[in-house]
Amino acid sequence: MKEIIFAGFGGQGVLTGGLIIAYTASNLGLETVWLPSYGPTMRGGKANCTVKFGEKPGEAIGSPSMEEADILIAMNEPSLDYLEFCKKDCAVFVNANAVPESHVYPEGVDVTRIDVVELANEVGNVKGQNLVMLGAVIKKMGLFSEKEAEEAMCKMFEEKGKGAFNSANVAAMRKGFEAVS
Amino acid sequence: MAKELLKGNVAAAEAALRGGCDFFAGYPITPSTETLEYLSHRMPELGMKERFIQSENEIAAINMVMGAASAGARAMTASSGPGISLKAEGMSYAAHYSIPFVLLNVQRWGTGLGSLKSGQADYFRECKGGGHGDYHNIVYAPFNIQEMVDDMYEAWDVAEKYRVGVTMFSEAVLGQMMEAVEMPPFKKREKELDWGVDGTGTKGMKYPTGDGWDYVEFELEKYNRIIDEMQRWEFYNVEDADYIFTAVGLPARACLDVIAKLRARGEKVGMLRPKIIWPFPFLGFEELHRVNPHVKGFISVEMNDMGQMVDDVALAAKKAGFNVPVYCYPCGGGVPQVKAIIAKYQDILDGVLKEKY
Repeated sequence: MKEIIFAGFGGQGVLTGGLIIAYTASNLGLETVWLPSYGPTMRGGKANCTVKFGEKPGEAIGSPSMEEADILIAMNEPSLDYLEFCKKDCAVFVNANAVPESHVYPEGVDVTRIDVVELANEVGNVKGQNLVMLGAVIKKMGLFSEKEAEEAMCKMFEEKGKGAFNSANVAAMRKGFEAVS
Repeated sequence: MAKELLKGNVAAAEAALRGGCDFFAGYPITPSTETLEYLSHRMPELGMKERFIQSENEIAAINMVMGAASAGARAMTASSGPGISLKAEGMSYAAHYSIPFVLLNVQRWGTGLGSLKSGQADYFRECKGGGHGDYHNIVYAPFNIQEMVDDMYEAWDVAEKYRVGVTMFSEAVLGQMMEAVEMPPFKKREKELDWGVDGTGTKGMKYPTGDGWDYVEFELEKYNRIIDEMQRWEFYNVEDADYIFTAVGLPARACLDVIAKLRARGEKVGMLRPKIIWPFPFLGFEELHRVNPHVKGFISVEMNDMGQMVDDVALAAKKAGFNVPVYCYPCGGGVPQVKAIIAKYQDILDGVLKEKY
């Protein structure tokens, strides 16, 4: 089972980012649970989601809540508080644009810094910062193949009536793949 | 049919429609609002624009549900703890007139306004009546979204069979999270109702009037049948277990993780998960006694502050012939952490946490 926390400010697309992981896993026939923070959150407030999926078909998911995450994706500095719910040797992906390089992490944590703002700007998709980050996570952690992730993302946005932005979104995700290749 | 990722609240709404729901009245409240929101566009899409009503308040909603159901609709309302408190009068009246309907409670934690944390603080209210007088709704307690879909799909068949209310004991996290589910096909009621108000005066509501023994006997016969016929539970690793967790909904999912972790270090633990909490699965405890009479104790894990289901666990254990301690870990609001449950289990082994019964 893989457990991933995707956290940031409301408006940074962390819920959507987690949802793409859930869609990709589900498309592959893996058991998946996606749990958002809910209630009176707002743009600029704290937001996060937890995604858990079985690594082979039939592997069921118990609790949907944050327990011992394998991966923490932190789009801002306060999100690093969720390390409390991570394994000691977890992988942390950090938005280099929002978290100072001087930030001190617990021992054993594997940190990858991604400048999502610059990379998203390079493909002219400033709203695709979450997708850049997602691409980096998927590639570096080997969660899914590039094709599986791209296809699931495009299918999901099509179903939501946002298929028109698919090529820009794929470009953002590919920037993330390249960033860790 | 392919599986689809759906939010619990949305899946419950779609499954209700597939199960024949053709009337909804409700008033929004977090964390149940997505059900109402989804039905507000889905019911018009299915040609039922006039049959979706966002009412002026909760009391109006339950009364509309009673009216629609009396006229033969498969009617539903949805809310969360505080909203359902306002519906208590209507629920009692519906029970008195034997009006079948479905109520979705997406529970918050707490008393009064409570908070938005997930909770199971409404166990007593949902299982022991809730409104005034003597009555019960049948209460389903699903632990994943597919089970909630299946329960909802069956809800009106059962409600109409016995002419009682059916309550879906959901919770904030189950309503808000997404899982892949398979939706069943649309179905209609198999046989026309032989009761109801249709304007011709030929059928009528067909329930005993007055306060005599014929009414009491009618009620007792109905509820005794339900107690016999609606016993549902699931066992997990019980055959050789020293300690049996009892939990419903998301705490039961956390207990599955607990069992895997404790079993990996050689601890013999299992779980009895009630799938319906009224009627409580007394038969499950009797079956457990046949399978494994050596159980040393029961541990009820609940998302409330003082423990509620633990009372029924203790009664069911006693009735089944277990003379063992019954412990409780009421974790408060929010899904209990796996390591917190394991710590409580250790406290029990160490004699730190005393039995409740």
